[in-house]
Amino acid sequence: MSPTRGVVGARRPVAGVARPYRFPPFTRTRLANGLSVVSVDLRSRPLLAGVLVVPGGAGDDPEAEAGATVLMARALSEGTEGYDAIALVEATERLGASLHAEAGWDAVSVSVDVPSERLPAALDLVAEVAARPTFPAGDVDRLRDERLNDILQAHADPRRRAEEAFAETIYASSSPYRHSAGGTRETVERLSSKETRRALARRFDPGAMTLIVGGDLTGLDVHALAADRFGDWRPDPAATPPLTVDASPASIVRAVRVVHRPGAVQTEIRIGHPGLPRRHADFHAVAVMSAILGGLFNSRLNRKLREEKGYTYGASAGFDLRRSAGPFAARAAVNTDVTVPAVEDMLAELEAIRMLAPGDDELRAARDYLVGVFPLRFETPAAVVGALSGLVIQGLPDDELARYRPAIEAVTADDVLAAARAHVRPAEAAIVLVGDADAFLPALESSGFGPISVDREAIASPEVSDVEGD
Amino acid sequence: MAGLTIEFSDQRLPNGLRLVIAEDHVAPVVAVNIWYGVGSKHEVPGKTGFAHLFEHVMFQGSANVTKAEHIGLIQAVGGTMNGTTWLDRTNYFETVPSHQLELVLWLEADRMGTLLDALSQENLDNQREVVKNEKRWSYDNRPYGSWVERILGGIFPPEHPYHHPTIGSMADLDAASLEDVSAFFRTHYAPNNAVLSVVGDVDPARVRAWVKRYFGGIAPNPSLPVALGDLSLPPTLGGEARETVVEQVPLPRIYWGFRAPVFGDPRLDALDLAGQILAGGKGSRLHRRLVREEQLAQDVSLFSLGLIGGASVTAGWATARPGVDLERLEAAYWEELQRLATDPPSADELARAKALTEADELGSLQRVEERADRLSMYATLFDDPGVVNEMLPRYLAVTAEQVRDACRAVFRIDNRYVLTYLPGLASGDAEAAA
Repeated sequence: MSPTRGVVGARRPVAGVARPYRFPPFTRTRLANGLSVVSVDLRSRPLLAGVLVVPGGAGDDPEAEAGATVLMARALSEGTEGYDAIALVEATERLGASLHAEAGWDAVSVSVDVPSERLPAALDLVAEVAARPTFPAGDVDRLRDERLNDILQAHADPRRRAEEAFAETIYASSSPYRHSAGGTRETVERLSSKETRRALARRFDPGAMTLIVGGDLTGLDVHALAADRFGDWRPDPAATPPLTVDASPASIVRAVRVVHRPGAVQTEIRIGHPGLPRRHADFHAVAVMSAILGGLFNSRLNRKLREEKGYTYGASAGFDLRRSAGPFAARAAVNTDVTVPAVEDMLAELEAIRMLAPGDDELRAARDYLVGVFPLRFETPAAVVGALSGLVIQGLPDDELARYRPAIEAVTADDVLAAARAHVRPAEAAIVLVGDADAFLPALESSGFGPISVDREAIASPEVSDVEGD
Repeated sequence: MAGLTIEFSDQRLPNGLRLVIAEDHVAPVVAVNIWYGVGSKHEVPGKTGFAHLFEHVMFQGSANVTKAEHIGLIQAVGGTMNGTTWLDRTNYFETVPSHQLELVLWLEADRMGTLLDALSQENLDNQREVVKNEKRWSYDNRPYGSWVERILGGIFPPEHPYHHPTIGSMADLDAASLEDVSAFFRTHYAPNNAVLSVVGDVDPARVRAWVKRYFGGIAPNPSLPVALGDLSLPPTLGGEARETVVEQVPLPRIYWGFRAPVFGDPRLDALDLAGQILAGGKGSRLHRRLVREEQLAQDVSLFSLGLIGGASVTAGWATARPGVDLERLEAAYWEELQRLATDPPSADELARAKALTEADELGSLQRVEERADRLSMYATLFDDPGVVNEMLPRYLAVTAEQVRDACRAVFRIDNRYVLTYLPGLASGDAEAAA
């Protein structure tokens, strides 16, 4: 019996004619107090997305108060002059809206999704949480304790533990990127409503803020709505421009750090070093290079470690692009007994991409992917608004998104090689392994990867924590 | 706000392939989504995890496509794609710029028609290792990672095909052979067991012509559907079950599992709204009481997984704060479920739950990928893609009394499975106390 169900035909269809695409046009206005208003009209998208972007994020927390900005953002919706926390969430839900405040490394964002006819009421709530939060002491303390518990959970989760150990290995002690944006146990324990209030005051300058609204804006005057709600905001006397974040590397010599987890069935591998800031002339070449190395399904790392060797469910590499140099990492979770061969394969790919320019097919696949997938990324208002807030946060020009596709098209094989040589540096990389050290230490010691340190830490448990009591 | 009605066409090819097309020209993109009516419930003892392993094999090439080339081609035209396996079904989907649609249809047809032409032991062995690493990554090397397996095992009796999870067991994965792959393909991967949905910037007449050209020559399997036997179950477990697991978890966590009405039963719609009222965000009852007021829990959740074979699962959890008395946490969680099973929610509470559900539905259906998935889903599970337009009206029609009654039927002591994780170094076997 033939296994075949039918003949489909070997002739591969060729593409039709592409419909022209451009990133949705947007308009920018300014209120009298300097607040920027960006609106982007997307017809037939009745669920609007809005975000108020406030520059300055976890990156400029004072070191002793690391985590204050993330805590502040979470606490914004814990109560305002006009609403207690429950009244606020109920008012939001009655609108069928969701309201969310969060802080990243470079900015604080207050975002809302809401059906179009309820935008005015939703912007009232955005204004309320951004400008009139009360930071009730008991609620801030509760959120702080939740963060402390989250640190416990991160420590016990192999993936999060690997990211933590990687960051603290590759950055110098002077860099806030050494820890997570939410702060460390030592810094978070000391936070209270006083620090959250200070964290908001430090960045409360309407002249630096941007409101972005996207979706079907038929019948809505976003500028006027913003003027009514945000137009009377004045800078806080304590407001200061965001600092440049220190992203110094810890070391430029390759070293191995093992975090021992007895009995772990997989090893979480991270290999890398500080990368580059988002605003960098090599951005587009790095995007193509990183797709080839570890972005596409058929990237070199995934092809080798997953599709050839079966070591992992997925191997990848990428740059976390921030205003200062966020991490570059190659990542994989592999079964314990292939830990050392997997690291060897990963290092070999990091070396190979620096040795030789990519072939035509490989280059074309990566460029075509990045160019082609671009419109797919912007199907919803939330995605369009998210991309625009990225521009604002990173301080990029308004035509950056329109320029993206031609700039990617223009990347050459030599550009990719140069980008790899400049930004992928395996000789300086930290190799972080979270797994059962006893199972792979002998092989690791004879691997010659570099000096090895092993953390044999106690597994965190509530019994050793001192979080209780508030 | 105005509801969104999805207009679509629905037809069958002579070989049984169901084709659903919905036009949307807002963006130059198109989503293709195929649901095959085969899931882990079709697996037999000793071959658990096979439907999912097979899904991986579907990316290993066919007569005219080499290993991993399917994904390479989709990505090279700027598309995204994936496949997923669940208890009731397996699906494959791609979203691409609309002028690349024909290529996607050809790729899907090539593997539906000719997968076995390219099957090799080497590729099977490779994907077996990949899947074993997926299991390690998603379940075994993850705090609380065994909860899905334990809840399914607790809600469904051993002879029921929902008793085991989609990922299967390592031993069964090791035992899977090329013959198993061939037999599985011949049985389940036939046009008369598939729904193909195409949603987006398309000309329906051209889509029909391409589908006919590429899929029209693929032979059906006349012996479908596969008989699964009687999957019906009593509406409740018939007695409480409890399990305690000591593992390397950071904080104790209590999971709850309940047997619930099947997907499609209006009582499950009411339970979805109950999930919103009880655990849908900061205004919900469990969050307010356990996280905010009494500060017993770090986080809470409650939701339903709709299944068509005998019963669905309603499940939830609360992660204890350090030092909290777990009996107190369990009692407080249970009290909130009982409160909603005793008194209907207030009009305002129900209205908020509906407003959030409406926003969720509209938000999801904005994306062509989600619309294609839902059309395929409702056609596969209910023989009617039009259910996509009925769900929101159904949610909006649920009354407060119906929410209470659904909770009363499900949140019963003799229908609960309580699974407690305790931190400790003794990784290993559960201590069952049923």
